[in-house]
Amino acid sequence: MRHVRSTGMRGWPACLAVLALVLAACSPGDTVDTTTTTSGEDDGTTTTVGETTDTTAPPDGEGDEQVVRFLMAENFWADWTPYSSTALSQKRLERQIYDYLVEFSTGDLSQPEPSLATEWTQVDDTTWEFSLRDDVVFHDGQPLTAADVKASVELASGFSGTSAYALTWAPAEVEIVDDYTVRISTEEPFAPILAELWWTPIVSAEWLQGDAADLASTPNGTGPFRLLEDSVNVKTMVPNETYWQEPPLIDVLIWEFVQDPQTRLNALLSGQAHAIDRVPPEHLETIEDEEGVELLGVTGIESVNLYVRPGRFPIWDENADFRRAVNLSFDRGPLVDNLVMGSASVAGSFLPTNTMFYQEQSPPFTASPDAARAALEAAGLPDGGPEFEIWVAEGFLPRAVPVAEAIAAQMREIGLKPTVVTSDVAGLIDDAFSETGTGAMYHLSWASAGDPNQAAAVYSSAFAWYFGDEVLDGLIAQGRTTLDSAERAAVYAELQSHMWEQAWHVPLYNSDFTLGISSDLEGVLVQPNGFRTDFYRASLNG
Amino acid sequence: MRGKYLLIRLTQMVLVVLAVMTIVFVVLRVATGDPARLANPPGTPEDIIAQTRERIGTDVSLGMQYVNYVWDAVRGNLGTSFRGSQSVSSAVFSALPNTLSLAGITIVISATIAVVFGALAARRPGRLLDRAVLVYAAIAQATPAFWLAVVLVLVFSVRLRWFPAIDMTGWRSFVLPVTTLVLSLSPILVRTSRQSFIETLSEDYIKAARSRGLPSWRVFAVHGVKAASLPLITIIGLQLGYLLAGAVVVEAIFNWPGIGKLILDSLASRDFPMIQGGVLVAAVVFVVINFFVDMLYAVLDPRVRVARA
Repeated sequence: MRHVRSTGMRGWPACLAVLALVLAACSPGDTVDTTTTTSGEDDGTTTTVGETTDTTAPPDGEGDEQVVRFLMAENFWADWTPYSSTALSQKRLERQIYDYLVEFSTGDLSQPEPSLATEWTQVDDTTWEFSLRDDVVFHDGQPLTAADVKASVELASGFSGTSAYALTWAPAEVEIVDDYTVRISTEEPFAPILAELWWTPIVSAEWLQGDAADLASTPNGTGPFRLLEDSVNVKTMVPNETYWQEPPLIDVLIWEFVQDPQTRLNALLSGQAHAIDRVPPEHLETIEDEEGVELLGVTGIESVNLYVRPGRFPIWDENADFRRAVNLSFDRGPLVDNLVMGSASVAGSFLPTNTMFYQEQSPPFTASPDAARAALEAAGLPDGGPEFEIWVAEGFLPRAVPVAEAIAAQMREIGLKPTVVTSDVAGLIDDAFSETGTGAMYHLSWASAGDPNQAAAVYSSAFAWYFGDEVLDGLIAQGRTTLDSAERAAVYAELQSHMWEQAWHVPLYNSDFTLGISSDLEGVLVQPNGFRTDFYRASLNG
Repeated sequence: MRGKYLLIRLTQMVLVVLAVMTIVFVVLRVATGDPARLANPPGTPEDIIAQTRERIGTDVSLGMQYVNYVWDAVRGNLGTSFRGSQSVSSAVFSALPNTLSLAGITIVISATIAVVFGALAARRPGRLLDRAVLVYAAIAQATPAFWLAVVLVLVFSVRLRWFPAIDMTGWRSFVLPVTTLVLSLSPILVRTSRQSFIETLSEDYIKAARSRGLPSWRVFAVHGVKAASLPLITIIGLQLGYLLAGAVVVEAIFNWPGIGKLILDSLASRDFPMIQGGVLVAAVVFVVINFFVDMLYAVLDPRVRVARA
């Protein structure tokens, strides 16, 4: 009595095994070309073919190749279209590919240094003249000239087109004096011009006039690295052989988005990555205790606040006593010490600690339930007022959800009626900035390069967090246009004091910025300014 | 009759895929997170957001977006990623073999374990070996895959440095993710296999074979394995969906360049075309493999063909 044919039973697992192995063998390899330029054929995921480099080489760089792999915590939201995004991940990445007119290698914004510009002079209150290097070429081989600076600065500043950088720039017209000299003019004096130029990549004018799809997919800079392969989550770069300074010391630089912090940690500990981004507080001790890896941290120029959306929560917009009650309802110190595990410092101003002209405000907002209840009484809301939503995103800012829940719990103790809504970053951003959003407060951060103009811009009338406070908007504008350093310091002192008094938003803390790196990786430049992370002088010495 | 059955099955497959496409399309649009807003800096004026919507095609009505999506998919065009200008087809079909190889090896190893463990347990039900197999199944089933994956990495990658912690870089990189998936998949297969063997071995024809003097191993290997494997095939077919879904977690932890990780990463930026393309291809793979499992089942068990006829 035969029920089944035995050949079938033996065959199917074998077929599956063969199929699996064939698929495994046919899967895309991890090799990249290092010989051709970035404008190779695009198969949709990568570019170029030719001589190969094993991008999965162990971190000690077996053989002569030095392949450095950096795992990012933030998604690559944007494409390569110049000045189209303020996404921090994109700005940090672009610093490997592009150059800037000036440099602040120490992060101190009072110490500008030459970069693409060899020298500069302030001609008058609204005009600056820059002399350019004459030995710089773009990755496509075209020489850098004044025309490129004109096209770049005019577009970035919003003078000649739409730019996401216009939020912190002033529209700037650029006059070409000769092939290597430009004059940048603004309608009004523009104090942070050097700080802005430090974050404005210089792009080829010819490239800017090209096809939009090419602009979005292929960067053409003068920086130390050029883009070799570009996939959704992995950006592979190789040295720019024609760089005007010493070439980079490493052979391949890989920036890769890896969402899960535990996976990033595993990769570092196992030696499959040389540097990992935004180490969460709970991983600090592990890295400290482990041999062969270390922490590289700075106090970030990033404010983490509960940002309040104007118009969503009328009592907030109208009643200063209610805002004061909220600000006095919870204790920031324990949040920082226990939940964020010391990887931050309590906000002492609406400008982050390392911002130029930072001034700690007094008195600090500390938990004072009695004072908070009194403020609620004064606001005419002894019952705590209306219900409101605090939105918080999982998976980006460290320990965000426990922080929001702890704040809400303390708020409830004095009678306030918050509800914590947990989302991902995308959902939070959408709710915060769309007309149909329901949230009142959003646990978010804002980072800058260290100039107070950038740090304060988010509170200006050009941004969604603006409550119609004309005094504040006027001070922000005044800070931009005041050239004298002492006078500018006075403006920002007044601005910070005014913001603290009005408390349009709920200040929380300033995040630390901590990388985990392999001990044999040297020369990585990490600065709090915009979370700068440069691998130009990095090398592996294992 | 066979032609009619095939036609019905094919129609069912198309309907399942269409349902998956529709559900994913609707859920993505219902969930918060406007991709146009995410592509621009926070606070960007609404007219710029509107321009972005126009560029990526989310400015038209939902109905029109749906029709465009289905029509493009029918023509084999899965669109372009919202992030950059990358082709969804290229990204998905680059990732697909990586997921399938992971799933395929997992199935082969899990099925082998199931047959061996099930057979060993069924030979003496209730005895020590049987109990050991049941304990294995219980422990493996109760172990969360994400926890197991992290523990395996910490022990075998970080401490011992035997296997890579992340990436797909060669045969050694399969060991930990496959182990994680095998320990998740094998318990149900082991239980099924054990039960089938126990039932099969108590059948009259098995007793008759034994009474005719056939060696015990031959009765077991030829008659027992054949019959007991039929339910296993069904379960494997059904569990394929679990494997593809479970691979999302495993792929994220091991940074495995498969469809699961592609979808998960795309979700963060609401990259609708990439998510839809990834889910669509995974759904097609699932229904096609299940179709072949059904066909295989009919080939292996004539009673199925008779019943369908």
